[in-house]
Amino acid sequence: MNCLEFRREKLQDPRRLSGEALAHQGECPQCLAFARSIDETDDRIGAALAVRVPEGLSERILLRHRDFGRPRLAVWALAASVVLAVLAVVAFGRFSGAPSDHYARLAIEHVMMEPKSLTTVRESDSGMLRSVVDGFGGTVTEPIGRIRYIELCPVGDGKGWHIVFETPEGLATLILVPEKRIRAVAIANASGWNALVRPAPRGYYAIITESPDMTAAVDRLIRKRIIWNA
Amino acid sequence: MSTGQSEQEFEQTVRAYGADMYRYAYWLCRDRFAAEELVQEAFARAWKSHSELREPAARKAWLMTILRNEHARGFARKRVDIADMDVYELEVPDAPPVGADLEQLLGALPLTYREPLLLQVLGGFSCGEIAAMLGTTEGAVMTRLTRARQALRAEHTGPGKRKAS
Repeated sequence: MNCLEFRREKLQDPRRLSGEALAHQGECPQCLAFARSIDETDDRIGAALAVRVPEGLSERILLRHRDFGRPRLAVWALAASVVLAVLAVVAFGRFSGAPSDHYARLAIEHVMMEPKSLTTVRESDSGMLRSVVDGFGGTVTEPIGRIRYIELCPVGDGKGWHIVFETPEGLATLILVPEKRIRAVAIANASGWNALVRPAPRGYYAIITESPDMTAAVDRLIRKRIIWNA
Repeated sequence: MSTGQSEQEFEQTVRAYGADMYRYAYWLCRDRFAAEELVQEAFARAWKSHSELREPAARKAWLMTILRNEHARGFARKRVDIADMDVYELEVPDAPPVGADLEQLLGALPLTYREPLLLQVLGGFSCGEIAAMLGTTEGAVMTRLTRARQALRAEHTGPGKRKAS
């Protein structure tokens, strides 16, 4: 085997060299250096390809699988899983002495548990948002953006409205949680998400986006376009 | 095999290959939410047709192929492979900006280069196995892998950083 043949083989499948190639590598310092350089690049490629896998992926796959063919049950099972996840987060927060930002982390957890909310587009008229906000003790004075998703979800030990809408900066999630009081504004960052929670007259609301800047922009938008009635 | 055994086997399969499936899906579609949906759909389809799997040793390749077909069906809306003769015509796209990290460079590779690289580096498959999964020849896979590595090395190391060899 000559150097050209060796390098061709090394570039094709660096980890499965033939006996002939291994013998050549042992005799040729230049090809050995080339092989080491390829291995080094491949290690870096492997590290770059190994993106983070979302937590709970296997459980979500198995949950959907177990409820295959039982759509009504599937909805309740999904809801139950969200409740359990939320309770687990709350319990973890309580036992680990977590700071008051755990509601913000709870909101991030909720968004991560419902990735479909960000990929699903259901045409919802602004009337529905007005109605939901009205029931939460607020008034929408101007549209906040195109509403893509509104669902009533299990949040904590109750239910909350999960709203996804479009902003100039990208998609934003707003979660309105009634009958749960928080004392102050809090923020949290986790798994590439940023969340801010604010007290509201009938509970609290959370804004979840991909960056602190975007959360701040959406927070300004919400405060400008939704008036909370005392 | 009883339903209970099948269920248990399915659960083991999900836990063993879910992460690799997700990473493969992510690098196919470059969207983490779409990737999870792809993996969900692929496992649902795998469950429906698990009786067709004759060789348990080939389970991973079988799953990857299902996922790839799901991607082609739902996201690409076209076959993602191309004829072998086209391989020699392929051009690596314009170079990403200087300083681009490896993840960006990988994302900038055409899918026909990126996919065999994913299957080899992430999946640990041989050129022959990859060829079978992609429905192409081993020679075409070797060519794509060589060009993918050359492109990444050239861009990642940069002209001034290339090592003499």
